[in-house]
Amino acid sequence: MKPNKNKGGIVSPSARRRYINNYWQLYAMMLVPLLYFLLFKYIPMFGNILAFRRYKPLTGPFGVSWVGFRYFQMFLKDEGFIRAFYNTLTLSSMNLVINFPVPIIFALLLNEVQNLKFKKLVQTFSYMPRFISTVVVISILTELLSPSSGVLNRLLQDAFGLEPIYYMNEPDYFRALYIITDMWQYTGWSAIVYLAAITGINAELFEAARIDGANRRQQVFYVTIPTIMPTVMVMFILKVGHLLSLGFEKVLLMYTPANSSVSDIIDTYVYRMGFQSSANQYSYATAIGLFSGLIGLILVSSANYLSRRLTGESVY
Amino acid sequence: MNRRRAFKIRDRGPIFTAVVYIVMFIVLLACTLPFLYIIAMSFSSSDAILKGKVSLFPVDFSVEAYRQIFAYPHFFRAYKNTILYTVCGTAISLVLMVLFAYPLSKTRLKGQKFVMKLVVFSMFFSGGMIPNYLLISSLGLTGTVFAMILPFAINQFNLIILVNFFKSIPEELEEAARIDGLNYFGILIQILLPLSTAALATIGLYTAVFFWNDWFYGLIYLNSELFPVMLLLRNIVNGTTMVGEAGGVGDKASVAIAVKSAVILTSTLPIILLYPFLQKYFVKGMLVGAVKG
Repeated sequence: MKPNKNKGGIVSPSARRRYINNYWQLYAMMLVPLLYFLLFKYIPMFGNILAFRRYKPLTGPFGVSWVGFRYFQMFLKDEGFIRAFYNTLTLSSMNLVINFPVPIIFALLLNEVQNLKFKKLVQTFSYMPRFISTVVVISILTELLSPSSGVLNRLLQDAFGLEPIYYMNEPDYFRALYIITDMWQYTGWSAIVYLAAITGINAELFEAARIDGANRRQQVFYVTIPTIMPTVMVMFILKVGHLLSLGFEKVLLMYTPANSSVSDIIDTYVYRMGFQSSANQYSYATAIGLFSGLIGLILVSSANYLSRRLTGESVY
Repeated sequence: MNRRRAFKIRDRGPIFTAVVYIVMFIVLLACTLPFLYIIAMSFSSSDAILKGKVSLFPVDFSVEAYRQIFAYPHFFRAYKNTILYTVCGTAISLVLMVLFAYPLSKTRLKGQKFVMKLVVFSMFFSGGMIPNYLLISSLGLTGTVFAMILPFAINQFNLIILVNFFKSIPEELEEAARIDGLNYFGILIQILLPLSTAALATIGLYTAVFFWNDWFYGLIYLNSELFPVMLLLRNIVNGTTMVGEAGGVGDKASVAIAVKSAVILTSTLPIILLYPFLQKYFVKGMLVGAVKG
């Protein structure tokens, strides 16, 4: 019906004219957004060549002369970078191990709530933290844990006579606090995908299990969990793909010189090198950013490939 | 023993039910108690806070903290900035994304596949923090309102939600409109947009929440008179900025706590108030987005 059945290429001049007549408006429509998109997403991507070039102030974002892999050799020997790399991997794998199963368990339990009004209420409240600014989350945390006025220190002191601890400043508590706040913010939200998968299960499966004498708990273990396994796999692989990208803004908010031995991650290191060191080492910081960006890209693509091979579902 | 009982009742054992409901109550408490605590702190007298009497309800009800932040001009300035960024940012973002998503939803359009690939690729690999910063600064945007609005107008995730939504609208509607003589701009405005209010509300909300909550870009791009409220809050909490009479009386710390709590509350209030009415859109967006793009 449409004049351009030939998707592969337009052959005759008249067909081309017809195609242009038909579609020029669509091209015109996306012209501004496309240029805009290229400007703000792709120019910075090419800006990564700064990693191989020396930067000079006021000469534009692409640097002035080639230096090859000098900055890469520099940071690979830089103890600060190695610590940041180690901290990133440690924190995000701990976060993955703990916070990956939690939304699944939450979704399974929530699905067992029979009272629909109560279920709705829990859902509504559990999604909300996702929309609260990280600044607010960390501010609340700081207040709750404050050594002078925070409720936690007060309770521990009253109940067990413990001395107040400045939790936000202690390296020992940083990872736990990061993981707990992540759990608080994202459990409900991440559970949505699993809840949708559970709702999509064919009711006949449960019917059959019931006839075979399975109780509710057994239905969960022998019907629900196996059926949502593909979703779980896809989500897991995705999470592994994003192993290097932590909640940078949250870490930056929680970062103090006192806890820096565990809270300095790659992104905060890049931030400090670029914006806080006296020299504004833009090229050096760009090189580190590019390095972790490339590792991230490799992780995501291999995760996606694996997902397609294993479950037939690729996310991108 | 509970195993046998579970069998008798057949469908669900009481222990199982109890566990479920206990967990749900814990979740409810975890999501609400921190806010109650902050509300209580913000409405308590500094004396009560200092003596450690405040936990979930205000003690010696007092609006002193609010009086102080409302008397503090920087607070209103920051609040106004945030409102400006949120309104302008969301408006620009919606216009650009609609104009982008509609052509991208036409799979027969030559080049569509390629542009989609560019969009998806840019989700996984991007210019890092520094190249982005240098672009904004060489465009001369640092220190201006535009640095907070322009770079974030097109969000790839939201764009894909919108493209998928447009794809799901039956083609026949458009063909009928074309026979009636409407061009593509007319179709988009008169036919598609009225059908897309739910999708637009969803991505509009995500965008607005992003702009409302942003502080980091304010930190690297702006100077203090343009700071958004979240950045002001961060500076108050980490002690960079002092509010009110913190230097005056002897109970400095406790006044500061009440003031901090009041700022936390007032800066999150729009989200907390609007959230219950809007959450169905949020969830819808999450599910559409989870469908592969």
